[in-house]
Amino acid sequence: MLPSRLISRTAARSAFIKQSSLPTIVSPSTRWRRGYASQAEEKDLVIIGGGVAGYVAAIKAGQEGLKVACIEKRGALGGTCLNVGCIPSKSLLNNSHMYHSILHDTKNRGIDVGDVKLNLDAMMKAKDTSVSGLTKGIEFLFKKNGVEYIKGTGTFASENEIKVALNDGGETSVVGKNILIATGSESTPFPGLEFDEERVITSTGALALKKVPESMIVIGGGIIGLEMGSVWSRLGAKVTVVEFLNQIGGPGMDNEVAKSIQKLLKKQGMEFKLGTKVVSGDKTGEKIKLEVDSAKGGKPETLDAEVVLVAIGRRPYTAGLGLENIGLELDDRGRVVIDSEYRTKHSHIRCIGDCTFGPMLAHKAEEEAVAAVEYIKKGYGHVNYGVIPSVMYTHPEVAWVGQNEQELKAANIPYKVGNFPFSANSRAKTNLDTDGMVKMLADPETDRLLGCHIVGPNAGEMIAEATLALEYGASTEDIARTCHAHPTLAEAFKEAAMATYSKAIHY
Amino acid sequence: MASLATACRLSARLASRKVTQDVAARGFRTSAASLAAQNFTMPALSPTMTEGNIASWKLKEGDSFSAGDVILEIETDKASMDVEAQDDGILMKITQGDGAKGVQVGARIGVLAEAGDDISSLEMPADNSKPAAPMEAKKEPEAAQPKEEEKPAAFSSPKKSAQKAAPQKYPLYPSVEHLIKENGLGESAISEMTPTGPQGRLLKGDVLAYLGKVTGDRPAEIAKRFEHNSHLDLSNIKIAKAVAPAKPAKKDAVAETPKDLQISLSVSLASVIEVQKRIESTIGTFMPLSTFIARAADVANDELPPAPSADELFNQVLGLNTVSPKASRGYYLPQVAALPPSSFTGVAPKPKASQMDIIDFLASGTKKSTKTAPQAASLGCLGHLYRRQYFYPNSAPGGAGAGTGFLVADEDGSGERPWPTGAVKDDFFKWEKAIYVI
Repeated sequence: MLPSRLISRTAARSAFIKQSSLPTIVSPSTRWRRGYASQAEEKDLVIIGGGVAGYVAAIKAGQEGLKVACIEKRGALGGTCLNVGCIPSKSLLNNSHMYHSILHDTKNRGIDVGDVKLNLDAMMKAKDTSVSGLTKGIEFLFKKNGVEYIKGTGTFASENEIKVALNDGGETSVVGKNILIATGSESTPFPGLEFDEERVITSTGALALKKVPESMIVIGGGIIGLEMGSVWSRLGAKVTVVEFLNQIGGPGMDNEVAKSIQKLLKKQGMEFKLGTKVVSGDKTGEKIKLEVDSAKGGKPETLDAEVVLVAIGRRPYTAGLGLENIGLELDDRGRVVIDSEYRTKHSHIRCIGDCTFGPMLAHKAEEEAVAAVEYIKKGYGHVNYGVIPSVMYTHPEVAWVGQNEQELKAANIPYKVGNFPFSANSRAKTNLDTDGMVKMLADPETDRLLGCHIVGPNAGEMIAEATLALEYGASTEDIARTCHAHPTLAEAFKEAAMATYSKAIHY
Repeated sequence: MASLATACRLSARLASRKVTQDVAARGFRTSAASLAAQNFTMPALSPTMTEGNIASWKLKEGDSFSAGDVILEIETDKASMDVEAQDDGILMKITQGDGAKGVQVGARIGVLAEAGDDISSLEMPADNSKPAAPMEAKKEPEAAQPKEEEKPAAFSSPKKSAQKAAPQKYPLYPSVEHLIKENGLGESAISEMTPTGPQGRLLKGDVLAYLGKVTGDRPAEIAKRFEHNSHLDLSNIKIAKAVAPAKPAKKDAVAETPKDLQISLSVSLASVIEVQKRIESTIGTFMPLSTFIARAADVANDELPPAPSADELFNQVLGLNTVSPKASRGYYLPQVAALPPSSFTGVAPKPKASQMDIIDFLASGTKKSTKTAPQAASLGCLGHLYRRQYFYPNSAPGGAGAGTGFLVADEDGSGERPWPTGAVKDDFFKWEKAIYVI
């Protein structure tokens, strides 16, 4: 009897709602159209790219009541981050860390473990389960928020129309009042070494190696290189990191923190060649040979390894998007040119995430996605680019937010420093995990927090507190006067704040 | 009444803007007087500063400077500070040289000319700056120099009022609370402080500045830096190369408009018109055809599979619910043509004698509603079978002046099914019956 109930309800509702407008000539129905044209339905927002920037924007737009379509060609939502980036690498990092600590660390904790064996296939499967669960979760959120998900490759046909070559074959097109470009980034290739994802690999290949290589060279000592290097080093590979700059961790990491984590990683078995330039590579032999040179012009050297991971950075990915069809401009590094409201020169086309300016971070893209949709819907959005945290998930973790010491020095900004080592923290002591420290930088006069740099256990979670403090313009005294639970690692954070504005109690 | 602190702070702000002001003020004058150079007086760098020493001039007489350049360095008992130019100009004369000690705030230390002026032809302004006597200021704050000399209207900036007017609506930060208690400051003191934190929050530095423990504009300087850092750096964008607009590609795109499957189908609305007439004769109300069709579309759309619930969606994603339709919900979009305008959207004629209310009519029609319901429901299946159908008007003229053409387009590209003409016709007539009872 369900249908009958439905129809009578519907009929009654229509009668009562529409009765008042009976003599009106134009139907109140919004679906009522009169015309001959048979063009595609117009969306309020069409998003190209279903990565972190794209999918967040799609969901947000759906929540804001916009008619939205999201075009993604990977066949799975979540982009690099979820499929071949942040998420799978965290799975491998966590599980390889457990393996490594069972091998080397359980004895002095009073746990005798028998034969420990690595089952790489099962470890990869655990990773894949996490990834597929999360990508499906996004698909669910799309349905929940009424987002149309188009699986295919989008190309600008005109300023409002996007042709989509569907993954299942065939072609369709969508028309959008607003269009959001969120096509992300790809690994920058190393000239002369072509990726095959088996011997010369990007981060993508490093997440799916079939066996643990005997030796691995990582070109580029940034976050991606050090995380993936850590994974395979823990699983048994001999890992050498070759970095052109004189410090690891990339330009954002505080010098002192970078030195400290380098020492710790070295203790774990990773080799570092800093200030070293890779001149050329040769993958014809059984092992891949790399010619390296000291950046300052020292003696040339030849390194060889079974696998070479190229992690020299990422570059914006806009290939096949047809930007030239609508005359959109890229800058010299391939980034889509935007204004402060993410608009390209066609003001209804916006661009966010890795394919435009700013740090290539998933959480930055996510913030921008929300801001861009708010600009479309409400005319105002906000992202505070001064307060974007960075985290490296090695062990111990490294995390920072705000300015670092070398930046302040270079800009001639006065600062004071407060440090607190985890070796003086009770929780870290009981965990037998005391490497690292919390370092705070604050204005010497007003005590306002300028930056926070943590190397240590759980730094990635702890940085949230520093981020909040920075966002609210807190002084280190504010942090120090806020109660922190005992015994926790976060107490080290509080003590570092105390050390900055007056003196730490436990150090 | 302005308190001492307010006056002091005001003076600090004014003094630090002195350079702009002096130069800017000239812009408003059109007389020859505009050619006179302006006095440059000792700025107050903190609320408590009454006098300072000139550490060194960074420019020589006759040097021109642009906004942001450091003009000189001033020492106080607390700190030494650079004084930056707020605008472009020329340092015409230095009246208090390097190393001058104990120069009162407000006393002339130099003369500035506007950028591009010929300083040799400029006349020196009279030294009419009265150094603010600290004792005097303490006794009669309202007589403090800025008010009288500096045309307060010109720079009682909205910024000031916005910052001052807003009382602290958030809980005070722990450090702020502590400093206030420690120094025995009251509510009134809090409202005197200049908050520099996000959304007008009062920071530790603001209290310290109020207390004179740090240089007065330090918190504002830091706030300005944070504000600068909070934006994406979009300066110095180097465009890669002029991207040639690919015009041929565009033409291709136009040529390759997607080929929709379109089916033309004429449907008679004879019975609708009959119903229309019956309504008119029964209750004297003329209902335009558009109302019938719109309502029919609404009913048909309501009968489409309901939007799946969150649970169903999740199950579907996990592949647990195989029964759930994979088709999108879709909707009917009727488009009507080939109708005489009068019957379609015509103005309703005056109701006839019968004044039966529509509610009565509906009440009496409930029986029929129940009876026709299953038939109407069968139409709902249409939406199920043929997702995303659009009814388009047919250009073929309809018969008997009341024919409506429908084109049915299946847009998802997968529909190569033959259109079951008869079935649709039947369904459509059932649909009409559903309309009948509305």
